[in-house]
Amino acid sequence: METQQMTTLAGVLDKKMNRQLKQYLDICARCAICKDACHQYVATQDFKYLPARRAELIRQIYKKYFTKTGEFVPALYEARDPDENLLDELYESAYACTGCRRCMYYCPFSIDTAWILSVAKAILIAAGKGNEMLGQLADAALFKSDNFEMFKDVIVDGFKDIELQVKELTGDPDAEIPVDKQGADILYVALAGAHSILPAAVIFHEAKASWTLSYFEAANYGYFFGDAVKARQIADRFMDEAKRLGVKEVVITECGHAYRVAEIFHEAWSGEKHSFKVRHILEVIDEYITDGRITVRPDAITEPVTYHDPCQVGRNGGIFEQPRNIVCALASDFRDMTPNREQQWCCGGGGGLVAISEMDEFRLKSGTIKAEQIKATGARIIASPCENCRLQMEGLNDSMELGIEVKAIMDLVLEAMPLAGSSAKVTPTD
Amino acid sequence: MSEEMKADLDLDLKGLLCPMPMVKVSQNIASVPVGGTIRAVATDPGSMADIPAWAKSTGNEVISAEKVDGEFVFMVKRLK
Ligand code: SF4
Ligand code: SF4
Repeated sequence: METQQMTTLAGVLDKKMNRQLKQYLDICARCAICKDACHQYVATQDFKYLPARRAELIRQIYKKYFTKTGEFVPALYEARDPDENLLDELYESAYACTGCRRCMYYCPFSIDTAWILSVAKAILIAAGKGNEMLGQLADAALFKSDNFEMFKDVIVDGFKDIELQVKELTGDPDAEIPVDKQGADILYVALAGAHSILPAAVIFHEAKASWTLSYFEAANYGYFFGDAVKARQIADRFMDEAKRLGVKEVVITECGHAYRVAEIFHEAWSGEKHSFKVRHILEVIDEYITDGRITVRPDAITEPVTYHDPCQVGRNGGIFEQPRNIVCALASDFRDMTPNREQQWCCGGGGGLVAISEMDEFRLKSGTIKAEQIKATGARIIASPCENCRLQMEGLNDSMELGIEVKAIMDLVLEAMPLAGSSAKVTPTD
Repeated sequence: MSEEMKADLDLDLKGLLCPMPMVKVSQNIASVPVGGTIRAVATDPGSMADIPAWAKSTGNEVISAEKVDGEFVFMVKRLK
């Protein structure tokens, strides 16, 4: 690789540098406490997945280009150029990371390895070595919004099909899925498919909420890809819609990373303060149950149920109690996993890994701790709000024969609600 | 039309939730030759926008996208 190109790649690190990142790069004590926190390292015992080791790759570029000692005596200070070998190592470290930040939770200096690895992804993208699949998914999302008129009818037709099921379930021929409704209180941002629209539409209908459905999906592959500009543009699609419609709040579906992007990153990326609040759908459902706006049968589920905190909803999103409140309101035998909440083990399915087929085997292997945790509860149903987590746990269920059922929280709520049309119950995936 | 045309690869994507139908088409496109086709059947309505958007943005082509008995049937042609 040309020296000029390596200098350009080091320039990406320079652009991302701020006091916090510099501190992360300077401060690591190499205590290796983080190794026992990372599900990928624990499951594989492979040095390349040790969190501090992953960050060390960026640190090596930092030393070479940003410290005098590393510049003049690179061998002594383990300073390296971002050459092909280093980029290959970075690729494996960065795109394997789920961004769960469990390592950060246990690190005595709270070093955010996932953040350091987001810089690694930016360097890889600049080198033309970003993950192709995640890049394609991000581009497809942007293509849909850039050419919205081409897709609008097909998107609305899909909503109309789901609306028929809402009418059937609620027993209300006037029930609807409102779209583009000026002045609605809530803009609900779902995933592209029916599974995250139907249960929410029924819940909003029963709660008599003033809401409207976004044309755009919440999922953000620009974020997983590691391109902050694309990630912001993908989120802009519904944030601009929220502004245009004048809603009071944006409610993000049961999706971990989408919630974190909307609630935590978007204001910083756009440099603009939102004129509305952002909430996760489970916060809203918990409120509806508490306020009596919807009813769930307390004994709707008698089989033992456990709950998996998705990293982006729990540890990184701060939502721990609302999903537990909801599950406990409708299930008579709730069994929490150990450990849980902030210390919950990552299932291994985050970071876009479920879309990267070459990582399938590694991903399932990295989920062995989660599988053991689930088994230890004796639960027959595992509830979790993140779609990536559910896909991973379904994979673990198959490969490790756990004999469980993996459910979204909204599906459990739908099953537990006494609905006028429930005899005609349809499954959200139909 | 898609009934008559024999695809190089058939993908059963029924039951998969978006964006997985699009992901599976993308993962499999390299396994058909340039000019070859994938016939994909999905049940998630989101795929009706997702798969054509993926095809357009990657320079491939959706020859047909039809709703048949509640299923979404796509013929996707690999162009490069
Ligand atoms: S726990 Fe923190 S300080 Fe210790 S090795 Fe890991 S990143 Fe470095
Ligand atoms: S963020 Fe999670 S997956 Fe990534 S290095 Fe840390 S513990 Fe491992």
